[in-house]
Amino acid sequence: MKVNGVPVDPPDAAARLIDYLRDDLGLIGAKEGCGMGECGSCTVLMNGSPVCSCLVLVGQVGDGEVTTVEGVASGATGRAVQEAFVRRQAVQCGFCVAGMVVSASALVAEHPAPTDEQMRAGLEGNLCRCTGYGAIARAVREATR
Amino acid sequence: MTATSPASTTTENSQVGRSIPGAYAHEVVSGRLEYVTDRRLPGMLHGAVTRSAVPHGRIAGIDTTVAAKMAGVRCVLVGADVPFNLLGPTEADGPVLADEQVRQVGEAIALVAAVDAGTARRAADAIVVDVEPLPVVGDAHAALAPDAPRLHDGGNVAGRIGFASGDVERALSDADTVVERVVSTPAQEHVAIEPPGGVALWEAGQVTIWCGSQNPGLHRRKVARALGIGLEDVRLVSGPVGGAFGARNDDPMPVFLALLARAAGAPVHLRMSREEVMVAGPKRHPFHTSVRIGFGRDGRIAASDMTAIADTGPYVTSGPNVLKTSAEMSVGPYRVPVARFDGQVVYTNNANAGAFRGYGVPQVAFALETAIDQAAAELGIDPVDLRLRNVLRGGDRHGLYGHPVTPGLRVAETLTAAATDDWWVTRAEWRRRARPPWRRGTGIALAIKGVGLGSGRGDAARARLIVSVDGRVRIWAGPNHTGQAIDVAYRQIAADVLGVDPGRIDVVVDDTQLVPESGATAASRSMYAGGSAVAAVCRRLLEALEDVGASDLALGAGRLVSEGRAEFEATFTLPDVADPGMIDPERLGNYAPHRVYGCSAQVVRLEVNELTGEIRVAGVVCAVDCGRAINPGAVVGQAEGGVAQGLGLALMEEYRLVDGRPVTQSLENYLIPTIRDVPPIRTRLVGGDEPTGPMGAKGMAEVVIVPTGPAVAAAVADAVGVRSDRLPITPERLLTALRAQERGPQ
Repeated sequence: MKVNGVPVDPPDAAARLIDYLRDDLGLIGAKEGCGMGECGSCTVLMNGSPVCSCLVLVGQVGDGEVTTVEGVASGATGRAVQEAFVRRQAVQCGFCVAGMVVSASALVAEHPAPTDEQMRAGLEGNLCRCTGYGAIARAVREATR
Repeated sequence: MTATSPASTTTENSQVGRSIPGAYAHEVVSGRLEYVTDRRLPGMLHGAVTRSAVPHGRIAGIDTTVAAKMAGVRCVLVGADVPFNLLGPTEADGPVLADEQVRQVGEAIALVAAVDAGTARRAADAIVVDVEPLPVVGDAHAALAPDAPRLHDGGNVAGRIGFASGDVERALSDADTVVERVVSTPAQEHVAIEPPGGVALWEAGQVTIWCGSQNPGLHRRKVARALGIGLEDVRLVSGPVGGAFGARNDDPMPVFLALLARAAGAPVHLRMSREEVMVAGPKRHPFHTSVRIGFGRDGRIAASDMTAIADTGPYVTSGPNVLKTSAEMSVGPYRVPVARFDGQVVYTNNANAGAFRGYGVPQVAFALETAIDQAAAELGIDPVDLRLRNVLRGGDRHGLYGHPVTPGLRVAETLTAAATDDWWVTRAEWRRRARPPWRRGTGIALAIKGVGLGSGRGDAARARLIVSVDGRVRIWAGPNHTGQAIDVAYRQIAADVLGVDPGRIDVVVDDTQLVPESGATAASRSMYAGGSAVAAVCRRLLEALEDVGASDLALGAGRLVSEGRAEFEATFTLPDVADPGMIDPERLGNYAPHRVYGCSAQVVRLEVNELTGEIRVAGVVCAVDCGRAINPGAVVGQAEGGVAQGLGLALMEEYRLVDGRPVTQSLENYLIPTIRDVPPIRTRLVGGDEPTGPMGAKGMAEVVIVPTGPAVAAAVADAVGVRSDRLPITPERLLTALRAQERGPQ
């Protein structure tokens, strides 16, 4: 598989993708908030689509492409989303933000001018307990301008 | 969002009043920031906890033989291995590791450290705990029954607070109208997205613990006491951390980490799973609350009488202090000629309850504010008008204790700010436009919440400042940051007091090695207390500059350093009430009344599906009086976050147990609001300064969760005529009430 564009050779196909990314590769951006796909803090892109990396085994990625939050900034969309999150004060404790940025980048890539419903559908898998989502929604709007 | 900035005297260069992102925001959005549970150290082991599977029982034996012999296991600890096996000074605080009795599901019994997390978990699961079951106390009312099983030798009452300012029964019988409400509010789980945990490292007889905390001083004392070491041998680095909301005030994790790392002779990493947090972590105290309020014909409150029973679970963390806040806020922001409160905190085998944003106020405010709303309907007076006839004005005397409140209180202004919003003004038209099966309603509610621990408690924060020869300023101050960007606010204040570029100022808040004891990130006190200490220490520096005749920092810094006057400290002690009113001055700290309160008024508009009981919230107006907003964007963020948690409490969140056995054990069945559940929120900042606060600021992050529940209930009543007596208002409960309404009075 490739992670953020770099070919890698994972030793254990049965490992969870989140553990491989964090423990073997040192990419700590994906966070474990629940371990069962409910909170979305571990969201990464698999072949361009957001997935919870706690629910994916390394072997399931095959020779696919994984993009983590660390890799999201290599594209203009991801950079714009990250900058908007900072500017609009969408970061409070920040623990959900890496997953949120990955989901928001995928959303904006698919819908350059998302409707409210598209934004809700794109981000409803990412829980945030600090912001009430207002600043996050404003950041995504700003990133799509 | 509509944010109206308060009238401001700030100049073009001033930092106060600007919306400035958090200090680590760039590291966060790029995924580079290392949180305490991300930390990895060379040679690090991993820990796990063995927990009770039963709610109540006597421990007959703990067999660790198999676990200790497993390959890769480095140490196993039980209660007998803990030098002082209590989490506080008394038995009521509960053991670090239960060794005689277990009193709730999830109570910690043993700790394991092993070479990897999987081995540690398997070893912890291999520990055999022989428990003889005891009868379970599954409910606060049951705990008070004369023949109830006793959780502790002293009985099941953990604390009681009562106060009466006169003959309430007589005042109520003389009143024209008396409204009575009997309500209950649920246990709520914090769901900070980072589960508790971190790393501990021993070096030369001293331990450094990286672990989230919103009360680092308290955690140092817990660790030092349990391990039998000096306070100065414990260093706690409490961030970066992923959320708190009250959950990180009493968390035993720093004690577990220090014990394991010492016994294993290696650094140890330990992190709770979400299921462990759900079952073993603290909760908002569930309350049963009854209130009677008497009104005169003119709509003025004549008397109020409230009783409350709070379920604190098996041990005392914050329970009696939570109830103290409930007592003070049992009369809300109202003038009440005669008032009474009687509250009890009781032990049960349910989840241990602790601190949670609002700290006992949302529970009593739900009773009080829904009673006011019902009274407005019965008296035929507009609910805003009824409140305005009764609200405290700045400098008035408190409705229960009679102490004077700050002249900076702006309750009427805050309520008016909410009630002049279009969403309140146009409520009749909006209601008419409902399309079946949806019916529409709008509700309003009001609250205040004290800033700081209250009078008679010696509440203080401290700051330390060092200026270097090149004029750079370093400040160590607390309370610390758990998501509020409080360090950024401290820097804004320092920059304005010193008149220097904020880029020349560094602020550190999360390391007990350097930050002087400043108390908890709690009680809406961080901005008010910490900000005041920072302003004070900066003024010390200005005085020293004046002494050496330097007109500014760049010119005077070298001189101060060479004269050995480059280091400063300051303490800010929160002001007690000017007079204790009806409270015996000797017992001021027992009631801990506040002088300064933050205020919020909220409007909720929503739709109810008559066929299913489903509720769709269409919008919330959140007016908030925080004095001067130091960082308005951060204030709006706190308001929106508080409203979202309030909507969770009102509509979906309830940690449930049956006979002490948890039902809602994960985020699959304990649901918190997603982006889909939170409507547009209009935050309105009410202008004006708090005279005793730093740059005019005061606390606001708790009060914003308080009016949401009663405003939701008022909106439901407006939509379908059902007055809910129990939170959360789930579709099932609302539908049941709607059906009962159709059948008519039984």
